[in-house]
Amino acid sequence: MPNHKNSSTALWPWRIITFLFWYAKEFLVANAQVTADILRPRRRMKMNPAIIAVPAASESSAEWTLISCLITLTPGTLTLTISRKHRILYVHGMFADSRESLVAEVQEMENRMLRAMRRSPGDLSRPVQVPVVAPEDKSPGGDQQ
Amino acid sequence: MELDNIMQIAGLVAIFIGIATIVVAGIGLFNLPDLYLRASAVGTSAGLGVASIVVGALLMDFSWLNLLKALLAIVAQMLTSAVGSMAIARSGYLNGALPAAVTHTDDLMKTRRDNFS
Repeated sequence: MPNHKNSSTALWPWRIITFLFWYAKEFLVANAQVTADILRPRRRMKMNPAIIAVPAASESSAEWTLISCLITLTPGTLTLTISRKHRILYVHGMFADSRESLVAEVQEMENRMLRAMRRSPGDLSRPVQVPVVAPEDKSPGGDQQ
Repeated sequence: MELDNIMQIAGLVAIFIGIATIVVAGIGLFNLPDLYLRASAVGTSAGLGVASIVVGALLMDFSWLNLLKALLAIVAQMLTSAVGSMAIARSGYLNGALPAAVTHTDDLMKTRRDNFS
């Protein structure tokens, strides 16, 4: 069983299968966590929500669509919008104790997804610093903001 | 005969897990403080609930054609519930539904034209 450091050199079908099982596990764990928090009385809820800009490594439209759907499908995290120009996913996290923890969680999922989607994973680097995003004077009038 | 009984019981268990998930999602609608928490908790919990009920029905009445139908139904259900939650949350944000006060960081606020923070 390849460990997770060199899993980008594992065979492609194997990477797809491990990703599916890993995602199913994450999905169930997150579901249990959210369920437990909903059933707690409101004063003792552990939630710590935040909307975080996560730098992303996706390239094609299919990858952007799939990663935002997968993030939303995981209970407790929700993609609000994306910016392909700045390569940012805006993620609302329910248990985001710090910016780093949510970013790490989302980027691990993206890494695994890209390794499963691409025959050779290629470049998984991301913009290190979050670019300053300010509204432009003229609206681009499309899918990007 | 034995296998048939086990499948029936497993199917019932799956259906009840699905019902419980949907009930919890309903409680979440009342308990959670804002639109985004509701959308992220409920959208996907309801997706899992429906998927679990479909699996239960499949176990109780198994055939290969039904397996194919159930897989299609689950994938379609997951995709539509994800896209639906995103659309609801995004339109809520664009229409000025502010996140609850417990939200400690809001990076999306910087992109707003009317920066009313």
